Amino acid sequence: MLLAGPSPARAQDDDAAALKLAEPDFTLIALPTSLRLPPLKGAFRVTHRFTRPLNDDFGDVAGDLFGLDTGATIGLEYRFGVIPNGQIGFHRTSNKTIELFSQYRVLPQNRALVDVSAYFSIEGTNNFKDSYSPTVGAIISRSFGDFVGVYVEPMWVNNTNQLPKALVDHNDTFMVGVGARVRVLPTVYLVAEAAPRPSGYKPGITQGSFAIEKRAGGHTFQLNFSNSFGTTMAQIARGGPLDKDWFLGFNISRKFF
Amino acid sequence: MLYRLSFATALVCASVCLSACDEKLSSLGGPTPNLEPTFASIQRDVFETTDSSGRTACVTCHTNTGRAPSGGLNLNHDTAYDQLVNAGSVERAGAKRVLPGDSASSYLYQKLIGASGIVGRRMPQNGPPYLSDGQILIIQRWIDIGAPRN
Repeated sequence: MLLAGPSPARAQDDDAAALKLAEPDFTLIALPTSLRLPPLKGAFRVTHRFTRPLNDDFGDVAGDLFGLDTGATIGLEYRFGVIPNGQIGFHRTSNKTIELFSQYRVLPQNRALVDVSAYFSIEGTNNFKDSYSPTVGAIISRSFGDFVGVYVEPMWVNNTNQLPKALVDHNDTFMVGVGARVRVLPTVYLVAEAAPRPSGYKPGITQGSFAIEKRAGGHTFQLNFSNSFGTTMAQIARGGPLDKDWFLGFNISRKFF
Repeated sequence: MLYRLSFATALVCASVCLSACDEKLSSLGGPTPNLEPTFASIQRDVFETTDSSGRTACVTCHTNTGRAPSGGLNLNHDTAYDQLVNAGSVERAGAKRVLPGDSASSYLYQKLIGASGIVGRRMPQNGPPYLSDGQILIIQRWIDIGAPRN
């Protein structure tokens, strides 16, 4: 039933400003979606990843309000539509990493089985003064009616190893982000994603996250659980801590159109 | 036309970014900014040179010029490689000074980091200053890639 019948989303596929019920936001949890941004319009997002592990004594965890009483890695993001199907943006995390990114839809789902977007980003630590890591990749997605969106995102991230090339076996990471968003109620979604790394530099554990989110007009409020704090591509490629802890976090995004 | 020009410009920028991104080896080398994981570089910048941090050259003691080399290890230019790679330690029986591909088991590395189990003192003997973490990392890499005579 989910797959059958025309939907408002497909009928309005050429209108980037139209609400896509199966793809209401520009990110899943940390990975990008293929949602387009109309030219000269913008969107803002704030991310929080609390650093207090949840898999601890429940009383202690509850006493810290599941991490809210502790520090967090905070990200601020703004993206802007520059051309039809093309957007650019920046994302800064509180560990002073700045990521500049761009995304361009190459192929729409109504002309192929999937929607394909090209993705490019470069990030630098120390307020974009050190350790630059560029990413080239693709966002391949398919929406099923107004209820489900699935994503496969092969990404190559260079300079993920923070040692010089001369001292390491691998200086880059090839990862394949996978994720899905399911609309379980008219404005409520369940989201999950992971970023396995088939080759290259892969310290720590594969980043994985799941979330529940609520869409309210142009806002999306998401409560998420992750085994890492990464919100930029190189951070995701470096994986999470080996302790296999889980952390609470949230995303809030706002579309300005 | 504008889109194509923008796309081509973006591709050029992306190519430059992709090829240029790396950490600087010189920043790890600290007082020996030209140090690389090659034997020639280690010989020149570590064994034979007292660096700006005050860490003394290894050949101050490990030489047969006018004296008996300390620990039986002569790091003079023409003999250093053969004295190190796959050569047995005089201090600790059974240990190889440099075991290609295995820095952790190499006695040279253990002496440089002051590992537990070494005989005598951490090198250099009059340290601190010792080799910096970055300098040791570069030497460790040379051992781990097979300690080539390069």
